[in-house]
Amino acid sequence: MADAAMVNAPDVKQDLSRSRARGRRLVDAVATLLLWSAASIVVGLLLLFVAYLFYKGASVVDWHFLTGNPTAAQAGGGIGPFIYNSFYILLLTLAFTIPIAVSAGMYLQEYASRGRFRQIVQFSAESLATVPSIVMGLFGLLVFVEAFHWHFTALGGALTLTLLNLPAMMRVTQESLAGVPATYREASMALGGTKWQTIVRAILPSAIGPLTTGVVLIAGRIFGETAALIFTAGASVSYGRSAYDPSVWHTAETLSVALYQTHREALVPDADRIGNGAALVLLVMVLLFNIVARVAGRRLSRRLTGKST
Amino acid sequence: MVGFRASRAHRDERIALAILMACSAIFVVAIALILGFLAINGTKLFFQDHVSPLAFLFGTTWDGFGGHYGALPFIVGSLVATGFAILVGGPLGVAIGVFFSELAPARIAAVFKPAIEVLVGIPSIVYGWLGLTLLVPALGAITHTNGDGLLAAGIVLSIMILPTVISLSEDALRVVPNALREGSASLGATRWETISRVLVPAASSGIAVAVILGIARAIGETLAIQLVLGNAPVLPKSLLSPASALTSEIIIDMGDAPDGSPFRHALFSMAFLLLLIAMALIILIRLALRKRT
Repeated sequence: MADAAMVNAPDVKQDLSRSRARGRRLVDAVATLLLWSAASIVVGLLLLFVAYLFYKGASVVDWHFLTGNPTAAQAGGGIGPFIYNSFYILLLTLAFTIPIAVSAGMYLQEYASRGRFRQIVQFSAESLATVPSIVMGLFGLLVFVEAFHWHFTALGGALTLTLLNLPAMMRVTQESLAGVPATYREASMALGGTKWQTIVRAILPSAIGPLTTGVVLIAGRIFGETAALIFTAGASVSYGRSAYDPSVWHTAETLSVALYQTHREALVPDADRIGNGAALVLLVMVLLFNIVARVAGRRLSRRLTGKST
Repeated sequence: MVGFRASRAHRDERIALAILMACSAIFVVAIALILGFLAINGTKLFFQDHVSPLAFLFGTTWDGFGGHYGALPFIVGSLVATGFAILVGGPLGVAIGVFFSELAPARIAAVFKPAIEVLVGIPSIVYGWLGLTLLVPALGAITHTNGDGLLAAGIVLSIMILPTVISLSEDALRVVPNALREGSASLGATRWETISRVLVPAASSGIAVAVILGIARAIGETLAIQLVLGNAPVLPKSLLSPASALTSEIIIDMGDAPDGSPFRHALFSMAFLLLLIAMALIILIRLALRKRT
């Protein structure tokens, strides 16, 4: 067809179509270059952030900084209790989030048909997912701090974070379960298993890999959450709480909240030093959560399903 | 014996289903309570303190202790910063989504994808700290100002919405059937022509959802922008003058506003407004997706 066109067409037309083809190829090449540069921006930014935070914070972070107590007004304070509070609230939040969200995800994925209840739950989860964390923080303030008279507590903070992270955890569950081949369900049912037995013994073990990855990534988000905690778990370590307090009923200032307070109302002269150190620790924690998520997910899948994914 | 076992399994089944349904119901109860509590506390300013909603929405003077509850400066601040983020981060994010879906070799994607996951995971307070100590001084040096304001907030938000826009627009492009790519290529289209005239239009509703969720992320972001806005409760004169936003003003004033005061009620009205915007975006997403089916 191209040959025929070339034979019949006058020379001028042929030249025109050739130069037009060249022009289109040039546009394509430029677009390709731009898309590559756009993607490189992401990696470039990440490298810049990591390099900058390490440059500023590496000299600050040492054992004394990580484990030391914060000081009220003199230099040299550490962030030990803040790290403890971050993990404390993280574990408490996961203890609420995982059972509720995994159950709801199992229900929607394995039980619910296209009924009305399913639609309402799905829509509620989507709505819940877009509630800004500061708004969730104010809700926590109204309910846990004021209506329940709990004041600022680790428990109130953890419950607020639970509300914030339920939708993501439910989505992770749904996706993990959806990834399990239908043959697993059929085989279990054919062996006489009830639906629940099928879920617990056949489906959950084979979904545990992606589920774990999801849990750890969400844990990373919980660890860094700030806005929802300031008015629920409080922004002071000293308020009714000793440095390493096991009680859920006391104020618990996390590391991310401490970084915010450092800027806002620090009395210590070395606030910038502490800020740089805290920012680096938060970054390293995020990197660790990401690595653990990948490795643990892969290991667990292999152990429980006998195959590598 | 068999009968006993079977009936026990049957009973377990019913208990399990009841628990799973109860857990699902928690989602419904939670969002209903959040809407309810914020609607009640967010309208006390109008019903209890008799401040007119118009004075709240369009008033330009904010003086919590002086009886002025004009939230327009914060509404404008939130909208401008979010708009900037969408204008910059939206196209950039979609472009990178296209890159991952259509161009990226597997080996490159294996490096770039984890980078995006880390960017998602970086806490907003750390973005704020980066903005405060890295971006604001840089902007200040370039523009000979303090460097803080809506431009800095817009840039921070652009970066923060990137991962959302990238991964969702990539997903939207991936579900476009391969037949469309092949058909376009067999008509002699270059890759760019296929992308711009076939794939992106075919994935438009999914890309719209990606951008709307980017808006949702940007409008609710608090600490990252509070640290770089300069926090002046006035209508911003330019992108480089100190400003404030709905979210950042709440966090600044909440500790100072006394219980039961109109000042505090006005802050809850701002939170309620944010919640209404978020709900409106969810409905927009539903509409965008309905168009597709």
